[in-house]
Amino acid sequence: MSEDPYEIEQFKKILEDSKILSCVQCGKCTAGCPAGRQSRIRIRELIHLAQDGVDLKDDPSLWYCTTCYNCQERCPKGVDTTEAVIYLRNRAVRKGDHNFPPLHVTAIKSLRDKGDGFPLSPEVEKIRSIIGLPIRPDDLAHDEKYLKDFTKLIDELGILKLVENKDGEQ
Amino acid sequence: MKNKYSLFPGCISKNMYPSIEKSTRIVFDKIGIELLDHKYSCCPAPGVFRGYDRNTHMTLGVRNIVMASQDDVDVLTICNGCYGSLWEANEMFKKSKENQEFVNEMLGKIGLSYDGNTEVYHFADILHESLDKLKENKELDLGLRVAIHYGCHYLRPSAKHPDLNPEAPHIVEDIVEALGCESVDFKNKLSCCGAGGGVWSGAEDVSLKILDEKLGNVEEANVDCMLNICPFCHLQLDQGQAKLKKYKIPILHLSELIGLAFGVRPKHLAMHTHMVSTRDLEKKIKKAKRSKE
Repeated sequence: MSEDPYEIEQFKKILEDSKILSCVQCGKCTAGCPAGRQSRIRIRELIHLAQDGVDLKDDPSLWYCTTCYNCQERCPKGVDTTEAVIYLRNRAVRKGDHNFPPLHVTAIKSLRDKGDGFPLSPEVEKIRSIIGLPIRPDDLAHDEKYLKDFTKLIDELGILKLVENKDGEQ
Repeated sequence: MKNKYSLFPGCISKNMYPSIEKSTRIVFDKIGIELLDHKYSCCPAPGVFRGYDRNTHMTLGVRNIVMASQDDVDVLTICNGCYGSLWEANEMFKKSKENQEFVNEMLGKIGLSYDGNTEVYHFADILHESLDKLKENKELDLGLRVAIHYGCHYLRPSAKHPDLNPEAPHIVEDIVEALGCESVDFKNKLSCCGAGGGVWSGAEDVSLKILDEKLGNVEEANVDCMLNICPFCHLQLDQGQAKLKKYKIPILHLSELIGLAFGVRPKHLAMHTHMVSTRDLEKKIKKAKRSKE
């Protein structure tokens, strides 16, 4: 690839797909934001900074959005605000953001190695058998061949490399 | 309506709340819809994976859909997170040639490919199409006062349900009423539980504050239980109460409520796996009037 889509000029073009340039800063997004009522995330502000091409790497509030889509549904200008937040997170991670939470890394590693974000525990295996479910589900996590292919696919996609950069190497 | 789907149970119902998987299987069996199993991974969890890399999320979501497409069946989800993930991955794939090329190139590395001809459904919609069957199979008139929690990723983005008003849905209300229960209104009924977007695992303080606001509104409505259509909301509403130490509102997934109305005994569903005790609710159910002789 010749141009890195996460470099700011290219990235502004990606964000234009979310129609952020149509935003008139009316604030309806922030008014209906459940996370904004309980934390310092302000969707209106994030969109404004993104319009100006401000790098939102290292802004912890970027990770307080629950992606409830209230703002996007209610935006009178049709801006895909929630999608824009997701793009901004993708870029922040690419740029070596140091704010992403450690449990997210655990979940990504668990998915790669076990096929599930929340793996099965021996306690739940027991309950499953008591109520007449197969002790282990007939799923990818419990099929060696499928799990091996899956791990290969995740490695090809390279998501783990993004989070492993967290502790140091630039 | 189809009589066969591939069940996508999702990590939380398989691995944390098997009562949800069990009751789903019982309910669909009773209404005459066959559920198949396939080699599914986590959907993958949209809050984390989409936030890190949209392409990874889309590709792994499509890999799951391919499992069902190989048997020429559509996917049935019982979780808003799984539904959101798989629906979104499917849409992204169908709408863009570039995405189709990317995903199929990646899937090709493990010998798979996708043609975009499989659909992803949410179980509440399928049950809503089967209201008559639900009434036929109902053994008990539960008579419970129920606070419905839809959860965000069933309602929004609203493109998922072109015929549904995301600010005034009625799908779950119709089902609850068909089961002989009362849907009780409460303040900010359609608001978020606080778990999504990676906030549950990433910013627990924010997640619990959002939950606290929601549960406070439910408490004022004086209900017998709170009902959800998403195991991840279920986890947040149930385990979150143990963390907040303020509320004791029993939490039921819709499959569990229907299972109970169909006369399945709570111990056969392992209801004791819930953090908030369902014992008072079970006592009330024991006294419920039989719908059939």
